[in-house]
Amino acid sequence: MAILRLIVIALCLAASVADAAAQKKGGVLKVGNLGEPPTLDAHWTTATITEVLAQHIYEGLYSLDAKAQPIPMLAESMPAVSKDGLTYTVKLRQGIKFHNGKELTSADVVASLNRWGQQSTYGKNLYARVADVRAVDKYTVQIQLKEKTATVVISLAIPNNSAAIYPKEIADKFKPSEKATEWIGTGPFKLVEWKPDRHIKMVRFDDYQPRKEPASGYGGRKVVYVNELLWIPVPDAATRVAQIETGELDFADDLDLNAYDRLKKTSGVRPIVAKPYYWLVAVFNKKEGLMTNQKLRQAWQAALDIEPIMKNVAGGQRELYRMDSSLAFVENAPWHTNLQGLPWNEHNRDKAKRLLREAGYKGEPIRFMTTQEYKWMYDFALLSKQQLEDAGFTIDLQVVDWATLVKRRNNAKEYDAFTTGIGNFYDPTHHVYLTPNWPGWTDDEDINRLLAELAGESDYKKRFALWEQVTRVFYDKVPVARYGDLFGLRAMRGHVKGFDTTLERPRFYNVWLEK
Amino acid sequence: MLVVVTVVFLLIHLIPGDPVAVILGPEANAQQIEDARRQLGLDRPLPEQLLRFYARLLRGDLGQSYFLDRPVTQALWERAEPTLTLMLSALVVAIVIGVPSGIVAGAYQGSWWDRGLMTLALLGVCVPGFWLSLNFIYLFSVRLGWLPVAGYASVFQDPVAATRYMLLPAVSLGFNQSALIARIARSCMIEVLRQDYIRTARAKGLAERSVIFLHAFRNALVPVVTVIGITMAILIGGGVVTEIVFNIPGLGRLIISAILRRDYPVVQGVVLVTAAAYMLINLIVDVVYAYIDPRIRYA
Amino acid sequence: MPDGVAVNETAVLAGASVPAGGARTRLMRRILKNRNVVIGGWVFLLLVLVALLADALAPYNPTRLYPAQRLKPPSMQNLLGTDEFGRDIASLVLHGSRVSLLVGGVTMLLTSLGGVVIGLIAGYYRRLDIVIMRVMDGLMAFPAILLAIALMAVRGPGVWNVIVSLSIVYLPRTAMLIRSTALSVRELDYVIAAQALGRGGLGIAFRHILPNCMGPLLVQGTFIFAYAVLAEAILGFLGVGVPPYVPSWGNVIASGKNVIREAFWVSAFPGVALTMAGLSLNLLGDGLRDTLDPRLRRE
Repeated sequence: MAILRLIVIALCLAASVADAAAQKKGGVLKVGNLGEPPTLDAHWTTATITEVLAQHIYEGLYSLDAKAQPIPMLAESMPAVSKDGLTYTVKLRQGIKFHNGKELTSADVVASLNRWGQQSTYGKNLYARVADVRAVDKYTVQIQLKEKTATVVISLAIPNNSAAIYPKEIADKFKPSEKATEWIGTGPFKLVEWKPDRHIKMVRFDDYQPRKEPASGYGGRKVVYVNELLWIPVPDAATRVAQIETGELDFADDLDLNAYDRLKKTSGVRPIVAKPYYWLVAVFNKKEGLMTNQKLRQAWQAALDIEPIMKNVAGGQRELYRMDSSLAFVENAPWHTNLQGLPWNEHNRDKAKRLLREAGYKGEPIRFMTTQEYKWMYDFALLSKQQLEDAGFTIDLQVVDWATLVKRRNNAKEYDAFTTGIGNFYDPTHHVYLTPNWPGWTDDEDINRLLAELAGESDYKKRFALWEQVTRVFYDKVPVARYGDLFGLRAMRGHVKGFDTTLERPRFYNVWLEK
Repeated sequence: MLVVVTVVFLLIHLIPGDPVAVILGPEANAQQIEDARRQLGLDRPLPEQLLRFYARLLRGDLGQSYFLDRPVTQALWERAEPTLTLMLSALVVAIVIGVPSGIVAGAYQGSWWDRGLMTLALLGVCVPGFWLSLNFIYLFSVRLGWLPVAGYASVFQDPVAATRYMLLPAVSLGFNQSALIARIARSCMIEVLRQDYIRTARAKGLAERSVIFLHAFRNALVPVVTVIGITMAILIGGGVVTEIVFNIPGLGRLIISAILRRDYPVVQGVVLVTAAAYMLINLIVDVVYAYIDPRIRYA
Repeated sequence: MPDGVAVNETAVLAGASVPAGGARTRLMRRILKNRNVVIGGWVFLLLVLVALLADALAPYNPTRLYPAQRLKPPSMQNLLGTDEFGRDIASLVLHGSRVSLLVGGVTMLLTSLGGVVIGLIAGYYRRLDIVIMRVMDGLMAFPAILLAIALMAVRGPGVWNVIVSLSIVYLPRTAMLIRSTALSVRELDYVIAAQALGRGGLGIAFRHILPNCMGPLLVQGTFIFAYAVLAEAILGFLGVGVPPYVPSWGNVIASGKNVIREAFWVSAFPGVALTMAGLSLNLLGDGLRDTLDPRLRRE
């Protein structure tokens, strides 16, 4: 018996040694991007491409683990919360260096958080409740709240538009509304050069201090094996696919879903289904115009036969979409709901026609705005138009470019509905489409009340119950029409190892190249 | 030139769509957008913006790109090399295919050579360049796998790779133009061969080949040079689509993405530069023409 | 796009005049006998017929989506296959001819009319001439496609916007042509005589200038038709032409670009149609130019 155990142990050791030896250092990893990021300043924008790049060179106090729960990153541990829930004390790790050699102190944290709190969507959301953020001593920061909220740590952990910690000099130098043009962080990679339309070059940061916990989600231990990380903008989707096939790229994201079949058959290439990606949505203008009428919105929702739309958008592939009615993704375990009996995907044309009659709809054209720059948006808009018109709607499909769409959707006179995708929101209070300040202007008293309760409540079970209520109200009031979940397509060359395929957004630390 | 500048400016600012909203990302709200607009000077009245534009232009400053966080001049400079490489390669292809074809067709007018080459030339004019590019990609990259699908490598850094990347774009762009050059070369050749001095040369007993090459050729070349100049100018425009299909990071791709992102300074910069280049080329063509053909020199 | 060359050649022809009476019938007969005119003309007429009868000829409604039938290869049900939404390619190509011909035709008319008006004014009134010349020069300094794209970005998508944008782009060429004719005709003796006799500007314009322009104008117009058809396709391909759900050759080629490996037929067939349209118009134009210009006529 003892011998068996010894053999097993020996084998495990051998395996781990082999594994460790297999992680080769070196090489250049070439990643194909959708395009140029508007900036590398994490505080400045919610754009996904900025998020992905920034999360390689910056870190925040907290990060998210594989279960979408906050875990410490630059903070030593979870914060100490006072009894009244109004004071959060965070102890920082010591000896953390920035890319310029400077040591991380509380002064840097305070300056960065204050900047983030004025510019970032999530920052401003949190800071509405913050009275003061200050440095207690060199390695301790204290956040003083005006009112209790459950969202402090999660807000600091969110990777999008994140509370990245910059050196105080940089946080002070660039006003929140300005894009920072110096990019120094504490992350495992450091930025070497940015040549627009050519590449963004990052290299290993040799003085990076990884955490001891194993990698989980976006947090834990991060080790950089490659020498250089090269991000190359390839705006044309077909070209990105082609370049991964030929090996000119090692990794490519946001690929055309039609390529899935082909990539599966290509040797040396491994396609990855990116979940979650977006759930597709038609956002209604509830401030002015035809869609202020709730019955019309309910009619739209009733008329949709979502599965054939999703299937077509997903290039005919079952693996690239998912039918789900929850407002939070399956992968967002804490907040995924499983409610039955919701009026989602009813594809009930008679019900739709009845609702249209009740709404007093006389066939006036409904301005539905979409863009071809995100192909899936255009696809589901076109397919919806046909289904809706078969049910009695008259749809005026306006195809514009993304810049125009983003501008027009802020103006209540210019549209009745527009297409977009909703990504992952880590806290129920962050779902922008439920709030009055986001295009579409959802200002429903029931939803507002429930969200306010959610913000102030800290018991998870109670919050989840509230969230389920929000979902039911959502399907009754229909502020936006939810379609299904669309997945993304990525592809990787076979010699790229260690990549975590379960992450929503790609990360290239803990990744090595086998040559 | 002033007209050009004004037209460009007005044109761009009339385009609907807000660069600021795009930069800030989908979750920005109205207040953030307003702040950013003020910061970029977009909220001043249009005439004032126009005047500031002229002022900066005189100083040689084309402004700062909204999206790229750098001066427009620098953005243009970084992308000039790929575009110039593409244009020159396409021009070389056009000349190499077009001139000999035209000369041969003209010299052996009415023969099978002539008919065949001219049919090919006709196709060259009519086949849409972008469609040809797609077919080339399908044939040579997808099916045969001989050449890469798209992309760019700098000639100065890796000549071999650069050639492989540039081959399909240059040929598909150059093919259209080669057809034109071929036709002009042919008609010039025919024209010249009918001239008296050619008959004289033939009568003198010179070999047919030397007749063609020594006398006809040189004279036929004159209008061909003009056409080449014009071709260069056309390639500036035709290059845009080719750059997009083949993902070449040049001025063409820059202007398309700038228009889509409402990056006004960049759009203005690119249009101005291309218009200036256009004019410059026309000027050079005029000068060369006058030089070669003394009969046309201005009094 | 071969715009520069055609201008040069036809500008050169501005001196060609259309004879009156019996000579005219002889000319007509010669035009109709010209092989290029015949071939090009018949194919073009075929295209027009197809466009008019598209509704009857098309087996399916081109805008009806059949998501379950996506990307099917050519078969008995769909002779040319289907696209990614299950739309029938044959129906799309047939209906696409409408947009192409509409855009080409109206652009040709607008540029001809506009060109005549502006050209006459410029040729006749010296003071306005200078201003007009500057503006025309400015417009011509841009590569056509770039200007078209910028204009479309300003105006937004739509067939009418495409027509107007392309008309603006090609107007200068026609205007210059008319203008140079007007200028040369002005100096002719019988015109000066007419003026001395008290004939007004308009009368001279209609009696003397216009008839002299007819030939080149027609030739130029044919080529502009061809350029406009191609330009509309390019704009559609780039996504800045007619709305993407309107059947147009450029739009279908664009949608086929992404699926070129799985379904090459989507891009292939509209491209063939486009090439044929271009071919017929170019042949027609060549033929007309050959017969209307004595210098290039082959004895």
